[in-house]
Amino acid sequence: MSLLEMKNLKCGYGHRNILDGINLKIESGEFCALLGLNGSGKTTLLRTVTGIIPALDGNCTVDGKDILCMNEKSRARLVSYIPQRTSPVSGISVLDYVLLGANPWIGLFDSPKAGFTDKALQITRRLSIFEMKDEDFSQLSEGQKQLAVFARVLLQDTPVMLMDEPDSALDFVNRHKILEKIASQVHESGKCAVISIHDPDFALTYCDRIFIVDGGKILCDICVHNADRTLLETGLGKIYGKIRLLGEPGQYCMTKIRN
Amino acid sequence: MRKFDEKAVFSVFAVLLFCGVIVSLCVGKYPLSFTDIAGLLTGKIQNSMKSRVFFFLRLPRTVVALIAGAGLGLAGWVYQTVFRNPLASPDITGISSGANLGAAVVIVVAGNSAITVASGAFAGGLAAVLAVAFLVRSTKSNTTSTFILSGIIIASVSKAAIMLLKYYADSDSGLAAIEYWTMGSLASVTMSKLSGILPFWIVGFAGLLLLHRQIVLLSLSDEEAESLGVNVRLSRFSVLSFSTLLVSSVISITGLISFSGLIAPHIARLITGKRDFRTMILSALTGAFVIVVSDIAARSIGSSEIPISIVTTFFGVPFLVFFMLKRRRNIT
Repeated sequence: MSLLEMKNLKCGYGHRNILDGINLKIESGEFCALLGLNGSGKTTLLRTVTGIIPALDGNCTVDGKDILCMNEKSRARLVSYIPQRTSPVSGISVLDYVLLGANPWIGLFDSPKAGFTDKALQITRRLSIFEMKDEDFSQLSEGQKQLAVFARVLLQDTPVMLMDEPDSALDFVNRHKILEKIASQVHESGKCAVISIHDPDFALTYCDRIFIVDGGKILCDICVHNADRTLLETGLGKIYGKIRLLGEPGQYCMTKIRN
Repeated sequence: MRKFDEKAVFSVFAVLLFCGVIVSLCVGKYPLSFTDIAGLLTGKIQNSMKSRVFFFLRLPRTVVALIAGAGLGLAGWVYQTVFRNPLASPDITGISSGANLGAAVVIVVAGNSAITVASGAFAGGLAAVLAVAFLVRSTKSNTTSTFILSGIIIASVSKAAIMLLKYYADSDSGLAAIEYWTMGSLASVTMSKLSGILPFWIVGFAGLLLLHRQIVLLSLSDEEAESLGVNVRLSRFSVLSFSTLLVSSVISITGLISFSGLIAPHIARLITGKRDFRTMILSALTGAFVIVVSDIAARSIGSSEIPISIVTTFFGVPFLVFFMLKRRRNIT
């Protein structure tokens, strides 16, 4: 049994079908990237699995448990999600922000117990944002904010982590930093993560599998470590056109071939 | 983030509130001294006039000032957090205009009797929020902007209806009563009115205190809150129901009190620099203090009592200007 399994999952808004029959099996310890052009349905897929929009058909399980018919709270113990733009909250310290991740694990009227605070502090140390734990969340730089959001997700401690372009607002250094942290967390803890991302170079460097999304389907499912250059080039070529991969495995760099 | 000395702040507020309450119990057309009050409370003074003034007028009035302020301050914090809008106040869900319409209808139809006007205002406030909830539901988009738009729609309809009522109201009694109600006053507060609204107030206040963590979660975007395990529709509905109970229970017997619900959360945030549970409590305390002091001013400034909204507005505007200037400095 795979950790995250989608069977014939159809997603869309109302009657507008955007993704048609997605079949995926993702194992624990796998860091996967969804690559696709704008409007290909990456976000729709992530939002459907999180339960923010209802699935049109098919099913989706985590550890064999059907997550599409769960209530928010039970689902939030199995699946966490970072949207493309996180809410601009102010007046809340970084530590309190991270502690929001404890919500699915505690009663409606309870406050997070000391155990959660200890765990949150540990996580902030691991992500090296411990020094800012008392700062106002809104005062952080974009890179630090993204780390705080990731810390919140780590406190939520779900086997499946979904992230919509977690690197989009970040500079070159911070993009490497956040993706490296996600990858190491996934590999160490046996969770799985699915992110959508626009830059194939970063996906090739950090992710274990790449799904190419186009026309409402997953066109290719590439296992990065086993794939040779030609296989990767054909896969990526399906959405990016004529491209070539430069560099060595582990640090590929994609360039466009001009006619 | 600036640390604030929690104990010091809360002690200062406790002392300020205590002083306010004492002054509020003493001041009025029939002044009572501090020793009078001590004597009345311990049962040493049996003077019937003094005791009637104290127990039937002064004490309920002071208690209402406290709970009205605390209620409006707390609700203000809740609205500003849930609607992610620093200018949000109970008006945003149409509640005050609904209560206003309810009171006006009762005044025109049944005359200006205290209990019926309060009931009418309470019902009107609830009805307005229900209407807003219905509108939101029928658009099938449960977002905060839909709430705000629906609030504007219901408030406009209520205002039009109020104008119509005013136009047909008896210009000697009815019209004056409607106008007077919109300016708010604690002058007609009695023990029976207080005991009538207290259960609703307690349910609303306690409900919001219990849900404080959910309220902060609702300040995130809906999709983020949902991914953190919040049932956004149910949570938002419960929070708005409790705050509706709280606010309509207050304004049904005081009439409209402007600005305090808007200003109190800002003062609290200025002190704590945060938007957490302590700020929520501090916002309630600030509201209570503002109303107690405003009510004292309302009954002692002129030769006769003036409506309380006049005081709260004059008190609130300088604060608004201050916050606006501070905001501009932060941006540039």
